[in-house]
Amino acid sequence: MDNIEKKRLTGKQITLIIIGVFLVIFLAYFSIMASLAPGKKLNEIRTKFGLQTNSGNTLDERLYSDSAYIGMLKEKAFLQARISMAETDSIYMTLNFADSTANLEISGVEVHSAKISDVKISRILRSGNEYAISSMFSSPMNIISDFASIKKEPLMIKMAPKDTSEFKPDIIPDTSDYEPVNYILEMDNGIRIFVYQEIDTIASDKNQLFFFDLNDRLKNTWSSLKSCAHLKVPEYHPFIKIRLRKADAKILYRAIPRYGQIAVYM
Amino acid sequence: MSDMEDDKINIIDSGPQETQKQDVPVLPFPENIPVVIKSWYQKIRENKKLVKVLRIALGCLVSVFAIFLIFVFIIYLVPGLQEIASGQKTKFVDNPELKQDQNYKKQIGLITKDIKRSSLKVNSYTSGQSYIVVNTIKNRFYLYKNKQLIREGSCSTGSYKKLQTAGGKSWTFKTPRGKFTIQGKRTHPSWHRPDWSFIEEGSPIPPKDSPLRWEASVLGDYALDLGDSYMIHGTIYKRLLGMPVTHGCVRLNDEDLKVVFNTLNIGSKVYIF
Repeated sequence: MDNIEKKRLTGKQITLIIIGVFLVIFLAYFSIMASLAPGKKLNEIRTKFGLQTNSGNTLDERLYSDSAYIGMLKEKAFLQARISMAETDSIYMTLNFADSTANLEISGVEVHSAKISDVKISRILRSGNEYAISSMFSSPMNIISDFASIKKEPLMIKMAPKDTSEFKPDIIPDTSDYEPVNYILEMDNGIRIFVYQEIDTIASDKNQLFFFDLNDRLKNTWSSLKSCAHLKVPEYHPFIKIRLRKADAKILYRAIPRYGQIAVYM
Repeated sequence: MSDMEDDKINIIDSGPQETQKQDVPVLPFPENIPVVIKSWYQKIRENKKLVKVLRIALGCLVSVFAIFLIFVFIIYLVPGLQEIASGQKTKFVDNPELKQDQNYKKQIGLITKDIKRSSLKVNSYTSGQSYIVVNTIKNRFYLYKNKQLIREGSCSTGSYKKLQTAGGKSWTFKTPRGKFTIQGKRTHPSWHRPDWSFIEEGSPIPPKDSPLRWEASVLGDYALDLGDSYMIHGTIYKRLLGMPVTHGCVRLNDEDLKVVFNTLNIGSKVYIF
């Protein structure tokens, strides 16, 4: 009887050990695949936007390691992107990290300017090949989807009264600003722009931001896990995270079209 | 007799319980704890059911903690790992010899020209003529002349209400966004009421040429047409300025409207966001 009990215990322990080993292997595999993702993205950027070292390129390659030239190249890229968007006659956004401003423009006219209080940029964009990154930003980015804590258009449905006896005059709208404003804009080149409101003293805003961020992380992790399950390196999305005043964050989100354009100057 | 002999007599006289009490050492409070814990532990060990429950509870706690750690690792630490080492930053080599190179100077000259040309083009979009900017989220307007802000104030813009009939017809009351031009200017305008203004009240819809369609004095002293029946005009609901309450038009108070009317011309730009 004692021997049978000992065998049961041992079986359990073996099962636990096997589960533990599988878990460790899985975590190591996932970590390695996730670590390879930024490198893969960087290679894609270099291939698509990097300096072409063909025989047809007569420019001196030393130019692209000159800080003055690269600085001017970035400025030119930003201006070109703005001109390109201005020709479309629509509303678009520009992020100017040199001036720490996020601006709204319509047909080249700046209609709103917001101060960026904090910015975090993905390492791949900060440390990558300067020429390739500035080439990537020389054309405007298009928004392909967004995810926000507020509605893009806060429509209210009102049913028409059948006759004048059912008519009720409109009530004065509630203009109090209680919703926290946080959103993510996904671009066609894989970059994700996170816009967070400046943290207020309201605890519920901090909680809402935590759950908003957690929701996004869960989605990304699920997508990465699916890729790893198919033995593929998961997709890496370089990010730009900015903090704005709540009112400015709301203005920018509601003003920019759903599939609008954004230009960045780093 | 000595005190000690008195104590011996006391010991002999006391019953068996008194003798047991004397056998157990009475320790001061802090040193009692290990003994108490040991006695509790022994009691728990003897209770097999309790041991099983405790084992299961501990197992669950450890499992939950392990799952939590794995969750934190996958959700937070792995994305953090991706930011540790990504790419090789361009090493800037500001070579003085390069700066003397004719090809370098030519390239710098070309790019400087491009930048100047692009800057001029970008600046040309902002006209020196008058224009107005309307912020529909804050319900504010900004009037510019010669690239200077000359007036700003509160306005009312679209309410974002969607009027729906039982028959399925609907109208959305929002101020359109983008670039517009002033297409007409009127003084003492009257409002030609559209169908929705009757449907909204539950009133029957009169014919297009009915005098019931015309309402005077609700649009203020001036109106600037933006096209598609949208206008910048005055209002009798001055207390609602600064709120999103209109059916799409932009409402201003009388003083602001007068200045805007006198500053903007037909063809002047209106930027609404």
